[in-house]
Amino acid sequence: MKFEEKKKVLRNCSFLSGLHDSILASLADHSSILDLEAQTPILTKGEDGSNMFFIASGRVKVHDDDVVLAYLGVGDVFGEMAVLDSGVRSASVTTEKRTRLLCLEREDLWHVIAQSPDSLRTIIASVLQRERDIVKDVTTRTAQLQAYEKELEIGRRIQADFLPEYIPEVENWEIASFFEAAREVSGDFFDVFEFGPDGYIALVIGDVCDKGVGAALFMTLFRSLIRATCQLGALNHQIASKASSEDHIRQILQTSIDSTNRYIATTHSKSSMFASVFFGVLETDSGKMIYINAGHESPVIFKRKGDPVILERTGGVLGLFDFARYNIAATKLEKDDLLFSYTDGVNEAKNEAGEQFSDWRILQAGASGWSDVQGLLDNVLSQIKEFRGRAAQSDDITMLAIACLGKSRDKAKSLV
Amino acid sequence: MGALSILVGQEQGHAPVTVFEIEGDIDAATYTELQDKAAEAIEAGAANLLLDLGQVEYMGSAGFRAIHSIANMLNTEQKPGMHKSEHVKLLNPKGEVARVIETLGFDSFLEIYDDRNAAVASF
Repeated sequence: MKFEEKKKVLRNCSFLSGLHDSILASLADHSSILDLEAQTPILTKGEDGSNMFFIASGRVKVHDDDVVLAYLGVGDVFGEMAVLDSGVRSASVTTEKRTRLLCLEREDLWHVIAQSPDSLRTIIASVLQRERDIVKDVTTRTAQLQAYEKELEIGRRIQADFLPEYIPEVENWEIASFFEAAREVSGDFFDVFEFGPDGYIALVIGDVCDKGVGAALFMTLFRSLIRATCQLGALNHQIASKASSEDHIRQILQTSIDSTNRYIATTHSKSSMFASVFFGVLETDSGKMIYINAGHESPVIFKRKGDPVILERTGGVLGLFDFARYNIAATKLEKDDLLFSYTDGVNEAKNEAGEQFSDWRILQAGASGWSDVQGLLDNVLSQIKEFRGRAAQSDDITMLAIACLGKSRDKAKSLV
Repeated sequence: MGALSILVGQEQGHAPVTVFEIEGDIDAATYTELQDKAAEAIEAGAANLLLDLGQVEYMGSAGFRAIHSIANMLNTEQKPGMHKSEHVKLLNPKGEVARVIETLGFDSFLEIYDDRNAAVASF
């Protein structure tokens, strides 16, 4: 590259526009040429730097690891900040394609500028213009960010509608829930609703894989399908026979889970999204409960006396394979028993050392007793917070618990 | 960011089997490497995949989603009455990976082996 060509590169650079020809000539004289292949790292964020670069041809990427801040091309300059203030590089720069650069050392730049107060004024004006551009850019991006945040806030409010508005009050039973999203929107959900005429209540807790908007979209789908198929099943049955029976309730539970799984596995197969779900149907008179545990953290029945009962999984997660099978298991809640269900935000809550809260701390919380169902949830939550210390909440936390205060059927018997 | 190392081998069961010996964590940062490698193998004619997880320390939900998408890529009509995927199987999951497979119930979707010869012969 000839001297005249170097001068032309510098003249085309807006950063130096307005500099006197003799100054440009002097800078061209001190600059060296650098020819680089594509994907060559030039600057690394945080390192000391003593030179700046003018792009003669090609293209470079300004980035912070994987985050691209800008692409620069012919006529652009980079590396000037560390040269002017002797600080470290504020970002990394890597070539995008074959690139030719003019490189200027700090000492040479200052040496040339020192000879001409006018050139100093030009360079200060260029730096200030850059700052104005940055302020404009930040303003635009902040406005965009605020618009996104507003959208997310709307999403959060709409999603809250997909959790039960109220928990039904059931005689002899006490129900409590806790829900806290790690981000604005969440993949966790729970549901409690009565169905059928005979005092059955559905208890559902679920966790859609991943986090954020994708998980939230699928959460609304899983929750709605489960609730709708269950209520439709109950309605169909009511029309057909006007009376509930254990067999029909089993059928409703099975159909609800099977059809939810099949619908998502076939309709949304490409998304590969899944949810772990525990779905129990409790007969409130007797305390009998049938359930399907589809790949979910095992709920526990704590007893005032005696060992807790773990409700193991009866099938895999929902939403992936239409051929999957889900078995129904049965259990029974006696007076003073407490069923505690939760999502992995509880047992996998991490402390600063990266250790997990784990299942055994949950079992311990149950073993240490509870005043009422809300008391147990409060106890688990305060223990998670204490365990976590200063570590941030990394996952959604959901808990749903129900305690048996007595049974109408037992009372009826005792009256006889 | 831990990269995934995938060693590809060929074996012969009742049908040809492509074996992926996977090393590293399968998470949100690496699952696409597994997906891409599988797509490449399937493009080249592979119809049966055995995923050797013996050297995988961690598998997050992204890893399970990748396995599902691979099963989808290989999906031919599931025979009636079959309740496990016929063309993707797992070999040798251990520790935390084995625990999560069990919790999510992936052992009810996929066959899991601890012996390579037995796994190959099952295809």
